[in-house]
Amino acid sequence: MTQALISQFLIGISVGAILVVSAIGLAVIFGVAGVINMAHGQFIMVGAYTAAIVGQLGGNTFLAIPVAFIVVALLGLIVERGVIQWLYDRPLETLLATWGVGIILEVLMKVIFGPELYYVGAPRILDGGIKIIGRLPYPYYRLFLIGMAIIMVGLTLYIIFKTNFGLKVRAVRRNRAMSGCLGIDTARIDMLIFMYGSGLAGVAGAILAPIKSVSTTMGFNYAVGSYMVLVLGGVGNLLGVPTGGFLIGEGETLLAFKYNSVIGELLVFIAIVIAIRLFPRGIFGYHERR
Amino acid sequence: MTLTLRTARESDRKVRRGRLLPAWALLLGALAVALIGTFPYYGGTDSYVLLLIGKFLCFAIFALSIDLIWGFTGILSLGQAVYFGMGAYFVALSLKINYALEHPTRYGNKFPDFMEWNGLTELPTFMKPLIYTPVAVLCAVAIPTFLAFIFGVITFKRHIYGVYCAVITLAEALILQEFIVEYQGYTGGFNGITDYSNYVGAPFLWFMLAVSVAFLLITRALTHSRIGTVLKAIRDNDVRAEFMGYNSANYRIFVFCVSAFMAAAAGAMYAAWVGIVSYLDAGPVFSVEGVIWTAVGGRATLIGPFIGAFLVRGLEFLLSGSWFADYWQLFMGILFIAVVLWIPDGLVGTIAGWLRRRKRGTIEQIRQEQDQLAHDRQHDWDPAGAPRAGEETV
Repeated sequence: MTQALISQFLIGISVGAILVVSAIGLAVIFGVAGVINMAHGQFIMVGAYTAAIVGQLGGNTFLAIPVAFIVVALLGLIVERGVIQWLYDRPLETLLATWGVGIILEVLMKVIFGPELYYVGAPRILDGGIKIIGRLPYPYYRLFLIGMAIIMVGLTLYIIFKTNFGLKVRAVRRNRAMSGCLGIDTARIDMLIFMYGSGLAGVAGAILAPIKSVSTTMGFNYAVGSYMVLVLGGVGNLLGVPTGGFLIGEGETLLAFKYNSVIGELLVFIAIVIAIRLFPRGIFGYHERR
Repeated sequence: MTLTLRTARESDRKVRRGRLLPAWALLLGALAVALIGTFPYYGGTDSYVLLLIGKFLCFAIFALSIDLIWGFTGILSLGQAVYFGMGAYFVALSLKINYALEHPTRYGNKFPDFMEWNGLTELPTFMKPLIYTPVAVLCAVAIPTFLAFIFGVITFKRHIYGVYCAVITLAEALILQEFIVEYQGYTGGFNGITDYSNYVGAPFLWFMLAVSVAFLLITRALTHSRIGTVLKAIRDNDVRAEFMGYNSANYRIFVFCVSAFMAAAAGAMYAAWVGIVSYLDAGPVFSVEGVIWTAVGGRATLIGPFIGAFLVRGLEFLLSGSWFADYWQLFMGILFIAVVLWIPDGLVGTIAGWLRRRKRGTIEQIRQEQDQLAHDRQHDWDPAGAPRAGEETV
């Protein structure tokens, strides 16, 4: 029993890592740029398709990650310039417009790639697993996922806090008018941060492609999961992402082990709603000052 | 010496409140009701179009319920289909159980066939009260309303709205959908609930029309009263409304419950009319579709949701035979973006604004109104979740 619990706990960590990987791009877009991107799941889906194409051309996941980053960042550029830049002062309507973007992406991908599922193999180095506890090995790919989650969060923290670009981003976020007066091109910063967040979504797609069959409708659940992570962890603080991801991943896995997956999700959802009641701005949310 | 405190705005702007029901609205409403209500007599009782018209009426009430919370109060719920779907499922289950009593399954059992397929041997005890139609109808509207009340108390009392509310309601819809699919023994799962006797025909159409008109009148009375003014104040600036002494949370909870009640009633009628309920009717996609009907027709207008629902769904029906049907989803996506970018007030809102401007004179006034509108728009839709300028980030 204890053994089973521990192995479930380890699986829960990797489920949390999946959530973190898919939510980090959204955390940048929603938390830092303040845009509600409902097409986030579809961005992940495009990243996964990119990985599938790279796979068919003979590349593996390690090659697919940078390619997916570039492809989806360019997609983000188009979406930001085409739609979102007009809507920065109307967040709830951004939500609707990006929902439309998501639908369009799904239809376009279906037209281009057809309705059939694509499968992407994991790189050969990551086949197999190590035996930590019990009889079932813990796959290397899940360790890779956890590692990637740590790298992506770390890289984002580094960019936001240690680079010149990150300084400008924080300045624009804190006081847009003043940063504009000091000579920062705020529209360009908005565009670049949206591109970076989209690129992270693409990376998430490339990483998640081998563990899930690639289809045009794969994105939606990831998007909702990502939003739940942000709601629980707190918007505006990047440390909320790993915390929220870990808690939700563990909660869902352990409860699914005890009951079943739907009950697990339901209980986690209720727990999140109660948590929001206790911390209205998320666990790591800042204090509201109005 | 007396000191009078008066804001400039108050002195030169008086609250103008028109008649509760203008004559033209009564006339147009009566015309629309007559046109739809007599359809069975000139269009034939068992035509597909009749089925569609009833369906669209339910969708329109659903959109009206979204309009009440989104257009008038500024709560964007992406899970309104939860209430619609629950209402629909209660009524469908009741009808199905009653149908099964008279039409035994292949093995002679007198309970719904999908339960038999899933290995149940008899009707679950907690479903037995649903045999009585009044109980089922009561459940269909009361339980969703109660759920909305609970949800409202949890979130609005803690000042959670805006984006957070949208995301949580979206997850709510997704989970209900998964729940329905998972517990197929009780809900019919992927197949939904089908094969029961539904109520297509003139009498039920008139009933639905009566309910639509009643809901329209209720919404009109609500939004036209003092409560409605407070609701709009909360939508436009909730902080200011609270400083004036209104408990915005209570108003939000109240209007959310009314809206859930309407959505549930629409769902209940939908199930009784169409004769098939599926898990999609309780899902996030249907919720967002309702939002887009409202946006197309014009939010914060009463007739907008009706026009939006009939227009979008009608167009879908008209184009369903042609090559365009494959690209319908694409069209919907473009519609979302186009409405948000170019006609944020919706069709009715845009036309009404245009008429008002023509009626009301000088260029100065128009300019002033435009300025006010632009000013409002910039400050109305402040997100509750996203950081604001001046707050700590990251």
